[in-house]
Amino acid sequence: MASIGLINYATFMGTMIGIYGILALGLNVQWGVTGLFNAGIAGFFAVGAYLSALLTAPPSPERIMGWELPVAFGWLGAMAGAALIAWPIGRICLRFRSDYLAIATIGVAEVIRLVLRTEESLSGGARGITGVPRPFGGFEYSLSQFAYFALVIAVLLLVYWALERQLAAPWGRMMKAIRDNEQAAAAMGKDIAKRRLEAFVLGAAVMGLAGALYVHFMRAITPEAIDPMISTFLVWIMLILGGSGNNRGAILGAVIVWLIWSMSEFVTDQLPADVATQAKYIRVFLIGLMLQLILRFRPEGLLPEESGQRTSYRSPPSSR
Amino acid sequence: MKKKILASLAALTLGGMLTNVPVMAQNAKVAYLVGITGPIAGLAPTMVQSMKFAAEQVNTQGGIGKGGKIDYSVYDSGCNPQLATDAATKAVNINGAIGMVGPSCSGEVIAVANSVTVPAGVLLITSSGTSPKISTLDDKDLVFRTVPSDDYQGRALARTLKAHGTDKVAMTYLNNDYGLGLAEAFSDEFKKLGGTITASRAHEDKKPSYRSDLAELAKGGADTLVIFAYGNSSGLTIVRQAMENGFFKNFIGADGMRDESVIKALGDENLKNYLVSAPVGATGAGFEKFSKEFKAAGGDPNGTFAATSYDASFLMALAIEKAGGDKAKLSKALREVGSGQGEAILPGEWAKAKQLIAEGKPLHYLGASGDLHFDEHGDVAGNYALYKVSGNAFVEVEKIK
Repeated sequence: MASIGLINYATFMGTMIGIYGILALGLNVQWGVTGLFNAGIAGFFAVGAYLSALLTAPPSPERIMGWELPVAFGWLGAMAGAALIAWPIGRICLRFRSDYLAIATIGVAEVIRLVLRTEESLSGGARGITGVPRPFGGFEYSLSQFAYFALVIAVLLLVYWALERQLAAPWGRMMKAIRDNEQAAAAMGKDIAKRRLEAFVLGAAVMGLAGALYVHFMRAITPEAIDPMISTFLVWIMLILGGSGNNRGAILGAVIVWLIWSMSEFVTDQLPADVATQAKYIRVFLIGLMLQLILRFRPEGLLPEESGQRTSYRSPPSSR
Repeated sequence: MKKKILASLAALTLGGMLTNVPVMAQNAKVAYLVGITGPIAGLAPTMVQSMKFAAEQVNTQGGIGKGGKIDYSVYDSGCNPQLATDAATKAVNINGAIGMVGPSCSGEVIAVANSVTVPAGVLLITSSGTSPKISTLDDKDLVFRTVPSDDYQGRALARTLKAHGTDKVAMTYLNNDYGLGLAEAFSDEFKKLGGTITASRAHEDKKPSYRSDLAELAKGGADTLVIFAYGNSSGLTIVRQAMENGFFKNFIGADGMRDESVIKALGDENLKNYLVSAPVGATGAGFEKFSKEFKAAGGDPNGTFAATSYDASFLMALAIEKAGGDKAKLSKALREVGSGQGEAILPGEWAKAKQLIAEGKPLHYLGASGDLHFDEHGDVAGNYALYKVSGNAFVEVEKIK
């Protein structure tokens, strides 16, 4: 029991870490590399999740679509949908400076969440969408979990590889130049607005993919899953803790935050029964404390951005 | 730095796991998933307390099997599917729970059932997930609930109204899953029976005025308004403004409108035509016994979901005892104790139940929240009555079905 159970639990955590890792990678493109303060991750996550669910789930009389397409179409659709939504938002909001952009994106995410919550014919309203297929979902419990875990990790690695290539290319250096000194980059003839929009849309597409991976894992989506706490701020903490500007940092942040989030409950359960219930709040506290400590003692994150040449690991981190 | 963090993390992990090694083989492991943090944090303490209370009663009256106990652990599901599935995975795989009470919110129940408990073959009884979607889950008969689906009350109310000769109503509902669930069920059933809904409008909470909504609603010519909202909030405003402006004569509501603040604010002399449906679990012999004992143990028996949580926890224990602790037989055993046949067991009568099970005699559980008889979806029908205003209180007019 124990060993199989441990494996099942580890697989579950691995899958969630994979999904959050992809979200953090998407945010890294926007914030880490380009300096766009997107506080509306939940919105793009939601668009991806709902769109993939609508494309692949069986039809239901109370809402639109339900096309029962293969899951791959759902994933591609999720990326395309999130990118499509991000484009007009970016066109309008990216002209704001960072803190105003944050407010605008929070607003957009809330609008998306409320639309999904209330437009019954679109999203199933407060009850959400059920019956979403999971690849390898027909297998026995442990095997199905493991197969999906492997799939998520494969997607994570693929996204990581693609983003690494993209950031190592001149495009990545240009984005960092825009982030660090907008005027200088503009003076070099770079089209700032267009480039920032590219990064915003790319990051949103990656977040949409994470949403799709999530919905097929849970086989259902309800508006509670796109709560800003769990799908925006947790991702921010992951990226800041792991090290923004560094893709491996983003993934490491996802690993650490999720492990603490999930495993701290084992520790608090060792406390006497009278306080064990109250102690459930400790994990929220631990995440906050961790963020404070990181910001105080290591503001660049655990794995800081590699500056300049990709080989110079020992060079000091760039200041922000 | 990185290594240090990883090392301390590993130590923390191992420490946590080693201390979670199973204690005794014959103990029955049960997980209670409650949204301790998150939006229903206010309701959670009472729910946890009543679940634990049921387990303690079982353990002090002979426990499970021969000398075993209900070995429960409480998990925080956060009213959020990500956290709930995480907690459920821990409960099922690390703790080795064979049954689960909770999680609390409907969205969580759906996610946990879909991705954890049903694939793992673990019985789940929720005490507070009311979404009609839970009924239709493909659950291999492993998902049950002790709280009625929102669907049921809406339909019962529609049938009663129609039977009383009301054919034409206007309807307004609060735009959340509570209001929507009731409104859909009501209008579906009402139309099926040949009634007409002249107008139907969702409304948002906490607006100062609903006069424009009411004017629209009144256009259809119905003199009865059905309101699915809360009587201490938008429901009260709507009734007051409808009366002031003479939009409607009769007002019908569901349990959310059974709120004494309506009587206080409007006066009983104005509420002659105000009828509400509400659960009657709070009157039966089961509830009285539970109420007395739970109060003595320092709990609040009238707390939201206190009775249903107690029942879910107690039923889980009954099913485990009946199945002899065999995980695969739990669902069938739960069906047997929730079949409505055999000798009645009241809350807290564990010793008696244990005796009957040992003798192989049929029994059924007459719970704190009413007679728990599961239908084919694993839902309970719920016991509702129609109430009218008399003096400063709501009094029962009749039972509704």
